[in-house]
Amino acid sequence: MHFWKCFVSGDDNVIYSWKKIVKNSLPLLTIAVIIEIFAGQILLDKQETLIFLPIFLISIPVINSVGGNIGSVLGARLASGLHVGYVSNSFKDKEMQYNVLISLLIAFITYFILAIVIYFIAVLGNIVSDIALISFIAIILLTGFLLVCVISLASVATAFISYKKGFDPDDMVAPVVTTIGDFLGILFLFFVLGIIGVGI
Amino acid sequence: MYAKEMLKQSLPLFILCGFGAIVAGSTLGLMLDLFKEIPGLIVVIPGIIAMRGNISTAFGSRIGSAYHLGIIDSDNLWNEDLKQNIYSSIILSFLVSIVIGVLAYFSSLLVGITPNAVKLITIVLIAGLISAFILTLLTILIIFMVFKRGYDPDNITGPALATFGDIITIICIFGSALLVEMIM
Repeated sequence: MHFWKCFVSGDDNVIYSWKKIVKNSLPLLTIAVIIEIFAGQILLDKQETLIFLPIFLISIPVINSVGGNIGSVLGARLASGLHVGYVSNSFKDKEMQYNVLISLLIAFITYFILAIVIYFIAVLGNIVSDIALISFIAIILLTGFLLVCVISLASVATAFISYKKGFDPDDMVAPVVTTIGDFLGILFLFFVLGIIGVGI
Repeated sequence: MYAKEMLKQSLPLFILCGFGAIVAGSTLGLMLDLFKEIPGLIVVIPGIIAMRGNISTAFGSRIGSAYHLGIIDSDNLWNEDLKQNIYSSIILSFLVSIVIGVLAYFSSLLVGITPNAVKLITIVLIAGLISAFILTLLTILIIFMVFKRGYDPDNITGPALATFGDIITIICIFGSALLVEMIM
């Protein structure tokens, strides 16, 4: 049965049940947590680098937060669109494509502003270790761009696939997107740092 | 179309969330000593933050769809649908906290670190449950304010909850680790 069908069956006014939400959420949350444990092990492994360059320790939650936020908002908008019917379940859907483009634009502006803020907080806190503002902005923007591209794709795919399979996209998109965001955010940051040759 | 509206509603919040994330990152920096004292503790951090964010944002996202469908609004907020959503958040937090503690213990064993299993699971469970109660109350407050202002909850609740969630969760695990370290 498709999830949305319980919205139109009229007799019972209560739509949500905790058992159903727990049952739908638990498998995905468990997978998410397994991936996050790997992310935790990466952090443990790179702890020395982060102690040497604390500006990136501050940046990691920021990179992950923006990526997760962009993906969650995109997913929530698509979910509401699918429920109500103004987004169709197709990768050619113009409404969806428009939403993805705006998400990329907003991500770019957000990362740019936050990179400047982090840098000046680091200057005030006296923890800037030989990195120019331009280099730092470039590292954050490059990491952020890679991350948001993958996250948008994951958000759209998750919303569409879960809707098609009869799950509520609202239960699925946030866990998938934030998990991918956390794990890849950390990976992409160390990848970009490796390419540019900072701190490794 | 509505690009301007999305920018107006989302961008300031994303920036604000970014500031929140900077606070979260700085708080993590303060915990470096605890990470050294409690082996395996750093491994649970991404997991517990993710759990909190996932459960809260899924909650907010469901309320967003419920709002679009007319099931919940500011005049009809405290109904059975909302209560069922609250129960699910608390129960999920309890179950997933235990999973995180157990996984962190065994994955640490694999890389040659032996954490205190009871200590680690207790820390995660206390932090998970306390942050669940705080975040659930905060969620209802945010949703109520979003409804009152007539904003689309889809643009607001996810980021707001994820950010407050991160800070509150890190503070909770900080406190929980200090407490357990004192008692056990």
